[in-house]
Formats: sequence, C-alpha cells, structure tokens
Amino acid sequence: MTLPRPCAASAASPWPARLDLLQSLSGLALALFMWLHMGFVSAILISADFAWAVARFFEGYFFLPRPQAWLVTAFVASIALLFALHALLALRRFPADWRQYRIAARHGSRLRHGDTMLWFVQVATGFAMFFLAPVHLYAMFMHPDLIGPYESADRVWTGGFWPLYLALLFAVEVHGSVGLYRLAVKWGWFEGRDARTTRRRLKLAMWGLIAFLLTLGLTTLLAEIRMGIEHAPRAGERYVPTWQRSPTAVEEAR
Amino acid sequence: MSRRLKISIFRHNPRDPRSVPRLVDYELDERPGMTLFIALNAIRDTQAPDLNFDFVCRAGVCGACAMVIDGRPGLACRTLTSTLPAAFSLYPLPVFRLVADLSVDTGSWMRELAERLQTWVHLDAEPDLDRLEARMEPALAEAVYELDRCIECGCCIAACATAQMREGFVGAVGLVKIARFRLDSADTRDDADFYELVGNDEGIFGCMSLLACNDLCPKELPLQTQLAWLRRKMAGQGVRWLRRG
Amino acid sequence: MRIEYTDVLVVGGGLAGLRTAVGAARRRLRVEVLSLVPAKRSHSVAAQGGMQASLGNAFKGMGDNEDVHFGDTVRGSDWGCDQLVARMFAHMAPKAVRELAAWGVPWNRVQRGAHEVVINGERVTLTERDEAHGLITARDFGGTRKWRTCYTADGTGHTMLYALGDRAVAEGIPVRDRSEAVALIHDGGRCQGAVVRDLETGELYAILAAATVIATGGFGRIWGISTNAIINEGMGAAIALETGVARLGNMEAVQFHPTAIVPAGILVTEGCRGDGGLLRDVDGHRFMPDYEPEKAELASRDVVSRRMAEHMRRGKGVKSAAGEHLWLDIAVLGAAHIDHKLREVKDICRHFLGIDPARDWIPVRPTQHYSMGGIRTDHRGESPALRGLFAVGEAACWDLHGFNRLGGNSLAETVVAGMLVGEHVADFVESHAGALQFSPGLARDFVGRERAALEAITARPAPAPGADNVASLRRGMEATMTEHVGLFRNEAGLRTAVATLVDLHARAQRVGIASRHLDANPELVAAYRLPRMLALALCAAQGALERRESRGAHAREDYPARNDRDWLRRTLAWWPVGAATPVLEYEPIRVESMELPPGFRGYGTRNIVEHPATALREAELESIRARLEGAGGAPLQAALLDFRARLPERYRGDNERIADIEEGAPR
Repeated sequence: MTLPRPCAASAASPWPARLDLLQSLSGLALALFMWLHMGFVSAILISADFAWAVARFFEGYFFLPRPQAWLVTAFVASIALLFALHALLALRRFPADWRQYRIAARHGSRLRHGDTMLWFVQVATGFAMFFLAPVHLYAMFMHPDLIGPYESADRVWTGGFWPLYLALLFAVEVHGSVGLYRLAVKWGWFEGRDARTTRRRLKLAMWGLIAFLLTLGLTTLLAEIRMGIEHAPRAGERYVPTWQRSPTAVEEAR
Repeated sequence: MSRRLKISIFRHNPRDPRSVPRLVDYELDERPGMTLFIALNAIRDTQAPDLNFDFVCRAGVCGACAMVIDGRPGLACRTLTSTLPAAFSLYPLPVFRLVADLSVDTGSWMRELAERLQTWVHLDAEPDLDRLEARMEPALAEAVYELDRCIECGCCIAACATAQMREGFVGAVGLVKIARFRLDSADTRDDADFYELVGNDEGIFGCMSLLACNDLCPKELPLQTQLAWLRRKMAGQGVRWLRRG
Repeated sequence: MRIEYTDVLVVGGGLAGLRTAVGAARRRLRVEVLSLVPAKRSHSVAAQGGMQASLGNAFKGMGDNEDVHFGDTVRGSDWGCDQLVARMFAHMAPKAVRELAAWGVPWNRVQRGAHEVVINGERVTLTERDEAHGLITARDFGGTRKWRTCYTADGTGHTMLYALGDRAVAEGIPVRDRSEAVALIHDGGRCQGAVVRDLETGELYAILAAATVIATGGFGRIWGISTNAIINEGMGAAIALETGVARLGNMEAVQFHPTAIVPAGILVTEGCRGDGGLLRDVDGHRFMPDYEPEKAELASRDVVSRRMAEHMRRGKGVKSAAGEHLWLDIAVLGAAHIDHKLREVKDICRHFLGIDPARDWIPVRPTQHYSMGGIRTDHRGESPALRGLFAVGEAACWDLHGFNRLGGNSLAETVVAGMLVGEHVADFVESHAGALQFSPGLARDFVGRERAALEAITARPAPAPGADNVASLRRGMEATMTEHVGLFRNEAGLRTAVATLVDLHARAQRVGIASRHLDANPELVAAYRLPRMLALALCAAQGALERRESRGAHAREDYPARNDRDWLRRTLAWWPVGAATPVLEYEPIRVESMELPPGFRGYGTRNIVEHPATALREAELESIRARLEGAGGAPLQAALLDFRARLPERYRGDNERIADIEEGAPR
C-alpha cells in the first residue's frame, strides 16, 4: 500500500527562515553595537580629552591624512539602516490590530509570567525607539562633527536633548539586554546539560547587564549634563584637547 | 483551620441565545487534600447540576481537564485548592472552541493539527511483523519517549501569546511533535520535509520564545530546548534551501 | 432525522477500538469511530507498566516463547479463559509489539552489558547480551515466569495510544468525539448500527452499519473507588445488554489491583513491584513472602490483593484519616530508576500525595481496576447471539482473562484483539452474511424510542430537597458494590446487594433532574446512564451470588474452593426486555478441548474440587505428545489445540527471536 508523503506541492518558502535569522542577527548586531556605543560615550567619565580622542578616532583622525567626518556619517547611516531593518522585521511580531492588542494585554495581565511580561517590555521599548532613535540618528547623521566633549554636552543640555537621551537610554539598554537574553533562549545558546539552570543564569545575567548599563549610562548622562550646564555660557565652542592648546589660546581663554 | 472557598466560574452556553458569558460565584468548604476535581464535582452535585467541565483520568495523564486556574492554564484534576487563594477564578482555555462553561473542544483542534503537521511515523514500507523489530539505540528510544510524553492538554496553547493573537499558529504542541518525529530513526522524512510543515510563521518562525509553554507544561516537557533545536535545524534548512528533485 | 451509513461503526476510541478501526480501514472499508472524549484521552492512556509479548530479548526473558506466555495466561485466569483465544493471543502479541514499534512507540531497548536491578529485595547485576542490544526490552510483572512486559517507562498506554491515534489520523479515519452510542439498532437477530447522541448539541441520530464494534472499555465506575477513568461507565456493555439479545459474560469477574493510592484510588503500576518494589505493613515488615514464599509481591493480582486484605484484617494495616492501607516501598529502587522508569508514579505521588517515592513509602490498598467480563463474543470478536455486533478489548468477554487478568495482558489484548477483530469484521462485512439491507424505518423507531426516553426524564419533576436525585442514587450504587461486591464476597452480602440494586434500579427510572435542556447537560447524561450502570451492577452482583465457588478474582468466603466440577463454566447474563433483573445462563468451558488442563496455579491457596475430565484429558494429551514426538512443533500444536488455522492468514507466521537466528533455525 502507499503511505502518505508530505505534499510536494506546498508553498514552502525559505524566507520565513531567513527573515527570522535576519531579525535575530540585526538585533544581535545592534545590541553589541550599543555595548560599544556605551563604551564610547562613557569615555567622558575618564576625561574630556579621551572622549575627544575617541570621537576623532572614528573620523580617521589618527590614521588618515586628514579627518573625514563622512566616515561617521556613513557609519551612522548603516546603523540607521540596520535599525530600520530590525524594526521592520520586529514589527511582524507586534499586535496587528486592536483585537490582538486586547487579547495580548489581557493574556499578559492574567498569566503572571516573567518572560511574557518581558515581551511586553520589548514591544513597549521597541515602540518607543521608533520615535526616539531617529531623532538622535538624524542629528548624528547631519552633524557627525558635533561629537565631542563640549559639543555633546551642549547638545544634551543647551540643545535640550537630555530628556530624549534619558528615555532612549532606558529603552535601548533594557531592549538590548532583554533581546540578548531572548536570543540566547530562542536559539539555544549556552544551553548546556541543564537548560533550566542555564536559563535562570541567563536571566540573572540579563538583569545584571541592565543594571550595569543603566548605571553607566546614567552616570555618563549626568556627567554630560553637568558639563553642559558648566559650558552653557560658551555653548557652541568646540573642544580642543589640552595637548593642542597653545599658550596664547590658553591665555585667550582666560 | 478550614477555609471557605469562593470559586468564580465562567458560565456560558454558546448554543443558548439567551446565555451571556458571565462569572458565577460558588462557595464551599475546603477539605484536606481537596483537588479541583473534587471541588468541581461537589459544586455540580450540590449547586450547579448542569455545570460543564471535562475530567477523564483524574490522574494528570489524559489532559482533558486543562483550564485557566486563577489566571494560569493547568490541569484541574491535580491542582490542590490549598495551592490557591481562598477566592479564585476558573475560565475555560482560550483559543479552543467553547463547548460550554469550562469545557472546550481540544479534540478537533488537535486532530486538525495532526493532519496539518502529519504527526505520524512515515515509513517507506510496511514492517514484516514476523521478523525481529528494527533496532534502536536505547538512549535514542528514551529521548523520543521524552518528547512523546505530550498529553495534548492545550496548556501550552493557552499560555502562548502568539497562539492567542494569531490563529493557525501550531504552538509548542505542534512543534514538539515535529521535533519528536525528526528525532525518531524510524521516520523517513528529512529536514526539507519538516521545513514544509513548520518552516513558516505559523510554525517555528512564528514562535517568539516567550516560553510560557515551557514554564506551564504540566508534563514538564523540555519545550525550551526543543523549540530552539528545531529553530536551528529549520533555519539551517531555510538558508541551504536545497530542494530534492 | 439524520441517518448515516457506513460499513463499520466502532464505538470507543481507545486502543482496542482504534486498532480495529485501522484494520478495517486498511481493508478499504468505510469506518466511523465514536468516542466520548478525544480518542487520545481514552482510558488506555492511563495504562502505565507495559504490554506482555514473549520477545525473549532481555536477559531475564531468555527462553520465553508463546508456550510460556500461554501457560502463564491460563494459570492467571484460574482456568477460566478460552484457551483457543489465549493461544492466538500469545502468538499475536510479539507481532503487535513489533507493529507498534514501527508505528512509533519508543519501546525501551536492551542496553548491552551489566546493569543493576532489584530482585526479591536484593541488588543483582544482570548482563545483557550483545546480540540483543537495541531490541525491545522487558520488565518483570506478576504471575509470569519470564520478564515479558515491554514498556516505555511507565507511560506505555500513553505511547501506544498516541501511536495508534496518529495512525488513525494517517489512515484518514474519522473520529467523532463527544459522541455516545445510546442504543444498538437491531431486529432481534442482526445488529444494524447505533443511535448516536451528540453530547455537545444533544442531537440524536442514527448510524447504520454492516458491523458494529463495541470498544468502550470496562465498567469500573459502578464502584465508588476505582482506578478507572471517569468515563468507564460500561455504556457499551449496557446498550448490548439492553438489546435483550446479546449476552454479557462473567460480569462477576472483577479485578482489584493491589496498588492504588489512598485515598484518590489512582493506580500506581504493577511495574513498581515488577522492578523490585516491596509491600510493607504498619511495622514496615515485608509481609508478602510470608504468604507467597515463591512469588511474593509478584503473584497474580487477585492473589496479592487478597493477601493484602487478609493482612489488614489481621490488624497489620496502617490506620489513616483516609482509611486503612499498606505501604508500597519503591525507595529501594533508588532515585535514578524512579526518574527514568517510574516517572508517572513519581508525578502522581508528588501531586496527589505530596510525597517523593524515592524517599517515602506510598500508601496503597487494593482497588477496583479491571472488568474481565463484558460482551460475550466468539474468538472472532462477534456476539454469538446478535450477528453483526462485535466487541473488543476490556468491553468484551472474548475470554482471554477468565477470572483474573495478568498485568500487562490488557494492553496486549487491546491491540492483539484489534488486529484480529479488525480482520474478522472486514471478512464479515465482505461476506454474504455481512450483506445488510439497511432499514431506515428501524433506525427511526430506535431513535424515536431514545428521544422519548430522554423527554420522559426531562418531563419528570425536579428532585425535591432530600429526595432521590441522580447523585444520591449513584452513591447508593457505589456503596453497595464496594461493600458487598468487592474483593471478598459472601451469600448474605450478595443477597443484600442484589436487593438493594433492584430497588435502586427502579428508583433510578423515576428520578427527575433540575436542568432540562438537552444540549451539554451533564445532569441529563448522568440520569440516563444511571439505570444502565445499575443493570451492569446487577449482572455482576447476581453473577457473583450464583457462582458458589472461588475462582481467580471472584473470592467467596463461604465457598473458598475452586470448584472445577460444578463451575468450570462461564456466566452469561442477558436482560429480557421489560424485566426487573437479568437472567443468568451458563456456558461450559470444556476440559476436553484444553491444551492445559486445570491444575494448581503455583501461587495462591491450593483448594480445588477436580473436574472428572481433567485426568482423562491429561492422559490424552500425554499420548498425543508421545505419538507426535519428533514430528516438530507445528503438527503437535495442531493436535493439541489448533489455533493457527483460525487466525487470519496474514498473521499465521512464526515469530522470529534472536535465539532462532543463533541456532540457524530454518525460517
């Protein structure tokens, strides 16, 4: 007798797999980039000179004949594209209409389940970033040269960006850390012999990461704000690293 | 000290045009070792003779009595009232068609799933029953059994945000079955075959890994690891995309 | 009114029903399956320990074969079984296991090399053979001389039912769940299908079928405490009884399982004892060897249950708020064994008792478990009284189990009987005898009668407070059965039981209900099932009263001997239309055709009144054996008991074992 076989005429497509992979990969890339980003911006905590050096580094200041700000522009553009891609892919998972939203909300509130709540956090923070991130990205894209100790501090305070950055900080770090945790359980990374224990540890690591990144981020933002307040009278003045300052310039500055 | 329980039970008969979905409170005295099986039968015997609910094995192995207990899906027969607050609610499982009150039609849903996902061992030839059986590594047999323990209770579906929002999502119950047949050396299907069944957004790529299925599975199936494993295999297949002729 | 037509109507979606359905469907017949619940929730799913088949792969199963399995089964039945059926069964069981293996049951396999087991309370090292590696292994069970019970941990019924449920889907067999057959449509000689009630909508309709197969399992729920599922109310047997034509066999033969937990009555598998678990009393003393020096905890279930009751009567039980009990100790097996091989038991202990069996003893006592009796059929599964009516599995008295079923033989019976009856049903439908002129008029009459009966129930006044209601009458039945038709029985108790049940039966036909709608109404369902359950209860009680001997699970305190002289016969109960009680008839079990004449079982009490033909038959068998010595197994078997010719042709082949391959036996 003939045994049933899977229907060969089905409309299977490789794209669901690829889109799923792309969503995960873009998310991973963005999350890891945000770690680096946090590293760069928190350079200000070490010293203004160091922060200046980091910013100029990306313009090729230390290895090109002359700094090229468009390098940063290009990089920002690629991050923006990655962001757009990730947002587009993640959008597939959002509640699509009021009915779905209501079902999801009621489900989440009744279930009292940690990872399900985390997903709501992901949706909320992701949604917030739709609006918050483009503002920042556009600023960076248009004025890559305005990255630097005074420049950034002026933008944060005098430019009135600090509420945006505060919100973005929470959204990005929570979304990124939760995202990394979910990537790990989604794909079974670090699973080991006892997946339950691993997951508990990953969750701990996630909370630890969130705490660390938020602390670092808030400290940095606070430093920027303080510097911004101090520098407000001379807002718009470009930062010159101490080793480039001529005595006259120092004199003039007095 | 014995408690007085107040159980708010979802009542509705969808075939009765006068029936409106509502919560009705029933009170009864808690007894030592009381399960929801005992409590619901006591309510039916003395207060609500036409209250619908489903129990079959009443031993936690058949999966008939899954319902939403104090907000979370679980097997009523083995839920002790002592693990619940004095006042709590009982709802039927969402997603599945309501029969009446706490009773839902999981049978049709699971049958449709089995037909869609072809959840049976696919053989090339009928076995010769007079000959020795095909050998299987003992460890593999145990691993297959581990996944075969699903009781189709529907808790994973009720716990799943995706399954609730998107009709047609096969849920952990469907995916773990595919994982089970993929593992089984007797099944002749390969990854391309399985991809056709679950390589889409109603299958493994619709799963958002919220893992409520894993956390609320009454049989404690390793759904987390199996969903991840299946996702890796199916993603690999999607990337390769080498179709047989 | 809706009338549907099909070739085969299977009532019941458990293992026996599904396997029969698959068999008939593969013969290209139209098959409909009715089930009270989704098929995979049938009570088969709760079977834990395993299924017997003489594969002989495991070290302790070496040397096993059909002969040994046959002998164990006959002894287990206390010579009450049909030996032709037992022969066919022992021959088919290995095929059934192998078929299920191919269909996806992940049977536990033999692991080559040394492993430690617990036997008779001691740790022993067994070494499995290289050549058996990867073949299906087996565990020990009660009343068997070899380790023969194939298993998947302690979820064997589950894996089997899921494999068969999936197979039924693969074969495209429709299963209508939440459907109940409430009457058989027949003309007094020929069964033509059933009146079906949709339990959700309340709709009544008819399915006319050339063959109707009852596979509804046992009727344990007429006892108050039973290991059975809630749905095991015996409705298949009850509607057969209501025809006034079909006979129910040996309804008094009821098995009490030694180890159900207290108080919930949930079963923990015989595999617990098979794997080395011990029974202990209030002092922690292992008492079974005192009674049964040879088999101890692994005597047959009827014997172990009686010994436990005896021991409790001596004041050695553990008194608890939930009643008296004994202890089952599987802590001796170690946590690793429990986690792998007895995890359902562990789950049950955790959820229902709040204990960890790797550390604590389990409170158990004998509890109603299995109905050896049921719809009397011939070896083909057909009712001799009502043509076109078949029965299979626990619902049937096929008669594989006689007066006591061995553990592991019920799962095996479900699939073996399904394989055989599926073929016989198909043969019947294709034969001249099976040709049926469907009669829609008859169908309309039967549906009309059922509708009138339901309307009569809803027309009765609702029960007044304190008056009879369905629940109270049901409790009366349960209490009567538990008290008087239990593990031990006697004349006075059984007389009381019959009188009480007759009274309850009459009252149950007058009881009203509070909620009167026809759809999704559990009270209505309980109301129309109750008189039917009481009818079955009466068959059991009356059969027990009349059977004045002790055989297998039927233990009469006032007639302790197994009386082969007067009682080597099968009780047949039938219910004349309109009568108040069933009528009992008897069918002889012929010593003259036995391959294994009556003797001592090797366990339990030795107290037998011999049948005069026993010695003659023994001599006859001896001369046959002498005459055919050297003629080979097949001619000898044909002379002793020729079962092979009566099997469907496709199942007549010899079963291969590794021993055959080693010896180079011709195949």
